Amino acid sequence: MAHQTHAYHMVDPSPWPLTGAAAALLMTSGLAMWFHYNSMLLLTLGLLIMLLTMFQWWRDIVREGTFQGHHTPPVQKGLRYGMILFITSEVFFFIGFFWAFYHSSLAPTPELGGYWPPTGITPLNPFEVPLLNTAVLLASGVTVTWAHHGLMETNRSQTIQALTLTILLGLYFTALQTMEYYEAPFTIADSVYGSTFFVATGFHGLHVIIGSTFLIVCLLRQIKFHFTSTHHFGFEAAAWYWHFVDVVWLFLYVSIYWWGS
Amino acid sequence: MLRNLLGLRQISQRTISTASRRQVANRVPEKQKLFQEDNGMPVYLKGGLADGLLYRTTMALTVFGTCYAVYELFVAAMPKKVK
Repeated sequence: MAHQTHAYHMVDPSPWPLTGAAAALLMTSGLAMWFHYNSMLLLTLGLLIMLLTMFQWWRDIVREGTFQGHHTPPVQKGLRYGMILFITSEVFFFIGFFWAFYHSSLAPTPELGGYWPPTGITPLNPFEVPLLNTAVLLASGVTVTWAHHGLMETNRSQTIQALTLTILLGLYFTALQTMEYYEAPFTIADSVYGSTFFVATGFHGLHVIIGSTFLIVCLLRQIKFHFTSTHHFGFEAAAWYWHFVDVVWLFLYVSIYWWGS
Repeated sequence: MLRNLLGLRQISQRTISTASRRQVANRVPEKQKLFQEDNGMPVYLKGGLADGLLYRTTMALTVFGTCYAVYELFVAAMPKKVK
């Protein structure tokens, strides 16, 4: 049996990059089929393959790290760089939508009545549910930090409790936002106000759901004893992502909900 | 029989008192043994039978889906002429 004489991880050949790429092809062409030919088959198939790929690919990473010991310090350093670069790319993704919002709101066109919010739009009161949402996400930032400290101090029950609380707060935010979307007096079709509001907050909401899912996976792994007090990068990555989601919300709240009303 | 009844009472009391704190056993060492076995299997199949089934399902959907997408793209690229 050959042994490696270096600390890096030479991965086994894997089918998931191929299935992931196929999922991307099916989702994009599926979107076109849905828009123009009223068929959702390709899109649904693409989404299904994407979910299967994500589940198996990340399951394999857990196996490689926790069960096979491949995540040595240099490998973990690479994973850290990777997560930081990914979050940075997401920051730029959101910058685009903020740019669009400020472009339209700093110089409102005559078609909007020369005003922001445009004539006819009743914006949501920033001191009602949006303020509650801000408190909920800020609190979840505290609880995820509490969970991290519990993890580092080998306090199993506190880690589980704090992580569960973080997830519940995340789900509460999602529920509140869903209700707000349903009750809003304006729609995505209501001029550029509606577009910028729902696209920016909508993508944020999607990221809250993604972040909550990541945290749920971490909770399950914590219950199953995967994490140690010194090695728990999966959890740290989830916490970083969660803080990013929180910060994006703060910018959304100040810009769109508060200044934009 | 009375002793058995007493035993049952003890067991049920013990069960109730620990039921609120369900203990999950640490199975990581078993998993480490399974996934470090020198059997030449790649990590995506090393977990057992379920891995293979899930892989084959995913790959079947992928192959079918890719062929179907290419077919639909061809059809879309050649619109039928309406007489």
